[in-house]
Amino acid sequence: MSLYLLMFRQFVRTRICQLGLSMVLVLGIISIFIGKQFLDKQRATAAQVAETQQEHIKRNVDLHKDDLGLLLYYLKFAVVNDVSPLAGLSIGQKDINPSVQNVTILALEGQKYDADLVNPATLLFGNLDLSFLIVYVFPLLVIAFNYNLLSEEEEGGTWKMVSVMSVHRWRHLFTKMSVRAVLLFGVLIILFIIAAGILGIEYNLAFSKIILTSMLYIAFWFAIVAFIISLRRSSNFNAVALLFCWLIFLILIPAVLNNVIVNKYPMPEAFTTMIKQRDGYHEKWDTNKRETVEKFYKQYPQFSSYGFPSEASKLQWLWYYAMQNLGDVESKEESALLEAKVLKRDDVSQTWSMLVPSLHAQLIFNSLAGTGMENYLDFLNYTEQFHEKTRLYLYPKIFSYNKAEGVDWDRFKPEHVSFEAHITWSHLLLPFIGAIFLLVCATLISFRYFNS
Amino acid sequence: MLEAINLSKKYGEHQALKSLNLNVPAGETYCLLGQNGAGKTTTINLFLGLLKPSGGKTLINGVEVNMDKNTTNSMIAYIPEVVQLYGNLNGLENLEFFSRLSGHNHSKKWLVSLLSKAGLKEKHHTKKLSSYSKGMRQKVGVAIALSKNAQVIFMDEPTSGLDPQATAEFTAICKELVSEGKTIFMATHDIFNAVNVGSRIGIMKEGELIHSGKTLDLTAIELQDLYLKTI
Amino acid sequence: MKKRTLLIIAKQFCASVFKSKAIYLLVLTLVVLLVIAARSGVAYYDQNHYRIDHQQMARESWEGNPDKHPHRMAHFGTFAFRLKHPLSIFDFGVESFTGNAVFLEAHKQNVVNFSEASFSTGLLRFGELSMAMVLQTILPLIIFFIGYSAIVADRENGTLKILLTQGAKWKEILFGKALGLSAISLLFCLPFLGTITFILLTEEHVVQDDWMRFAIIVIAYSLVCFILSFITIYVSLKSDSSKNALVKLLGLWLLMVILVPRTSQAIGAYFYETPSKVEFRAAIEQDVLKYGDSHDINDPFFKALKDSVLQANHVKTVEELPFNYGGFLMSKGERISANIYGEHHKQLLDQYRKQNQLTQWLAIINPFLALKNLSMSVSGTDFESYVHFQEQAEDYRYKLAQKMNSLQMKYITPNPNDKTKGSQVSRDQWKSFSDFQYTQLTTEAAILNVKVSIISILSWFIFSIALLVYGAKKATAI
Repeated sequence: MSLYLLMFRQFVRTRICQLGLSMVLVLGIISIFIGKQFLDKQRATAAQVAETQQEHIKRNVDLHKDDLGLLLYYLKFAVVNDVSPLAGLSIGQKDINPSVQNVTILALEGQKYDADLVNPATLLFGNLDLSFLIVYVFPLLVIAFNYNLLSEEEEGGTWKMVSVMSVHRWRHLFTKMSVRAVLLFGVLIILFIIAAGILGIEYNLAFSKIILTSMLYIAFWFAIVAFIISLRRSSNFNAVALLFCWLIFLILIPAVLNNVIVNKYPMPEAFTTMIKQRDGYHEKWDTNKRETVEKFYKQYPQFSSYGFPSEASKLQWLWYYAMQNLGDVESKEESALLEAKVLKRDDVSQTWSMLVPSLHAQLIFNSLAGTGMENYLDFLNYTEQFHEKTRLYLYPKIFSYNKAEGVDWDRFKPEHVSFEAHITWSHLLLPFIGAIFLLVCATLISFRYFNS
Repeated sequence: MLEAINLSKKYGEHQALKSLNLNVPAGETYCLLGQNGAGKTTTINLFLGLLKPSGGKTLINGVEVNMDKNTTNSMIAYIPEVVQLYGNLNGLENLEFFSRLSGHNHSKKWLVSLLSKAGLKEKHHTKKLSSYSKGMRQKVGVAIALSKNAQVIFMDEPTSGLDPQATAEFTAICKELVSEGKTIFMATHDIFNAVNVGSRIGIMKEGELIHSGKTLDLTAIELQDLYLKTI
Repeated sequence: MKKRTLLIIAKQFCASVFKSKAIYLLVLTLVVLLVIAARSGVAYYDQNHYRIDHQQMARESWEGNPDKHPHRMAHFGTFAFRLKHPLSIFDFGVESFTGNAVFLEAHKQNVVNFSEASFSTGLLRFGELSMAMVLQTILPLIIFFIGYSAIVADRENGTLKILLTQGAKWKEILFGKALGLSAISLLFCLPFLGTITFILLTEEHVVQDDWMRFAIIVIAYSLVCFILSFITIYVSLKSDSSKNALVKLLGLWLLMVILVPRTSQAIGAYFYETPSKVEFRAAIEQDVLKYGDSHDINDPFFKALKDSVLQANHVKTVEELPFNYGGFLMSKGERISANIYGEHHKQLLDQYRKQNQLTQWLAIINPFLALKNLSMSVSGTDFESYVHFQEQAEDYRYKLAQKMNSLQMKYITPNPNDKTKGSQVSRDQWKSFSDFQYTQLTTEAAILNVKVSIISILSWFIFSIALLVYGAKKATAI
């Protein structure tokens, strides 16, 4: 034990240890505050929506109390995708995909893909959240702390001494590495504790899965380092080889994969949907009203008792809302294609990430924090349901020329939803354990080979 | 040919050379003996102009090194303990590079003849330097010195780590060089070789020259006694 | 400094680099990356076809409208698709994070939507592989790797002493090796620049101006190759072992290329908060309402407006006016709301610019960042190029809305009982209103936007030379 303490002290006194740990602590705390600011902003937006919705409804009801059809042309209803505190750890796609949808009961397709306002330059450089630190910076520390674990002793001549003095010289190396591991895992846990305090994260299954993922991911990097060490080359070789590994896992493979996915699944459907939805609605102004309403009744037979508008009359709300709805219906095909493609993209990246631990870690973080693509797709689907539900409640009131007071406006409070991530244990664990297992085997074989 | 006048060198607090006075006439082989840290390499570095003296001066052929480095530089060559050069170039390429650096533009034939003169077998001329033994590398070093037509050749521990045959070959080359009128100044631990090739011997201790004289009247055993006594 | 000696040393450095096997592995890696990056760049750029097609599709359905009331056309609206600059093949910049299409209609400034990032799975956040990215991120590492031992290894094995006694001056050794290293790094750049030249030559949309931009890119990347080579040699000179030199350079790379840009942008964004879309919209709505509500018959502002118009035309009711009052009212309203939106949008952009400021200014001490900023701007893929698109789209939207309002004023009857004018406008009018035509930011403006970076690269070039001159003065062989 005292030997262990001695090794501990020896390492803690090195400049690289002090520099590395203090850097990761400072960056870690910055990243937690950035996460905190992000959460605060998301919550403030949600709160503002709740606050203004009532005011917004009241003002418009006063202005157009006699014409419910016109009133609902203006009224917006909010649905809020509640942000988990874990999103402060891994902001993911949440900065670009809004977590509040504010929709009218007119055609939905033109509204639902509305992106949030973002500074593209900030997106380009990327968020400095804790997940970035874990995925990018911790591996660098693992490399910096361990790359010359053995070569340093060989080059400095102490390895011969160790070999002569110690019966278990490999255990000596293992102990050295464990000193570094204890320190790094310690800092990681400290950061998680600080984050839990500042971001208000409760200890639950998702949070513990995030911690577990982080540890396995860092362990994976220790395994890579162990393998490179086992080749018994010079410090310079190790440094270059390990940085190359880092480059491969964190820059090159993800970038190439992204390029491939983007080019393989382009999204022209997004544009087509947008145009079709507009045309689908607008051309109804110049076509037979009866046809339009017939198509609408095919969608919703329950309203067929409202009959057909006369061709001569100028504007009838039944016809107007039918036109709006048909805009959605007629762009349905493209919209479905679009969604299928987004799902396909998600699917392909999930599949490939099983082979690339860095990607796997990031995607797991995003999923658990509810900031990934699947969360957003869930939210879009929910928005669609919410939109239909709201429409179906209001349609009969409009069609029967109700006045504004005929509607119970109090029921239109902003609706809150949240979605659970479905991550099985095997999905979470297998990629890491597989990679670590392979690397450990390779390390053992190569140690034996280079030792004989 | 070589002169050191009141030469001293300080590294921070450490006094590496204390007022050294030395005179080596042309055509001599001067062997500087002494323990590690006695100041031998510092003396060489000062003559090479790689260090600035803290006091005193070094002269080569009457020209002060730190006043007119271009002139002194053109007269000297240096062979380090291990001639590393560029491992991925062959002996001939290395020689060509360094001779061109010194401003000469020798023909390939001439360079080959220099390598041969330095004792490197022709079949090795086009082998990569990284495959050379220490003795072979030294021969390339000698060839470089020859290519520059240097009048003084400085050597730092030239025979340490050489096998007896390589040492003998090296001694022969040194003698040939001196017979052509070159001056050789070497720092060495090898007392026997010093007696063998040196015409003059200097013994240094803690930055001072405590013995200097001709080798003609000394045997190796006597020198060893002297060396052990003085240090 | 003798030119001859300089060249001998430079040539020797190159020769010895190309004698090692590792260099061919690096060349191979770079070529593979180049092929991937070039193919992706071209494929990304090909998305312009989708955009041109859709712009056409939107135009056809615009022109296909029958005679109708112009205000219905104002709501029919049209779309603006953002076209990529040909040089975006080289540097993707912020392209993947900017919207690509926007619906343009009266009364409403829609968000530019459908950015690549909004369809991405989080993979995008790891970065993209473009030719510029390889030259900005990977090439510096290769330069460091080739050059880290240039001086320190010669010192470690005593070759430096021989070099000096053979008559080489320190300046000649340092600059010779630095030039050799620069030559190799330029050689690595060459296939990239060649590929771009080839692509631009075969690309039909390239104009004279783009060649000028390309020339700036060539100069900037070359200068940075020199800067990095000079710094590498300086670090090698100042390190006491080759391991130290390597660790220093790798650390420098990580700090300057990976950590500093992300941290500075994140800190900028932390200190200059921007509103979310909901807040932004709400603030605009508030301001518009302050002016008055045109829907409210008793609104004082619009009532006063009406009275003054009636008085100026010496009539009692709007029906008696010589023009359609509805069109007039909407053109006023459009002007007010567009001004208010413009005000708010400018504030938002200024806030974004403040967020970017730290990163922009850090380019002074970080040449990597300077190169990145310069490259993006000249390739037409930076923040300001995107803002330029947004402004043009909004400008077109405003013109479209006002054109429809003026058509309404002119051709739509002010009085339903007066049959001299109808309630529709001929479809020829739709055709005569020309389509949205995107023009790229001028090269001058693109250059002016990154003047800090240009100054930075030039000063770094001078500084790195000065560094070597200083290093040569202080250098010792031992």
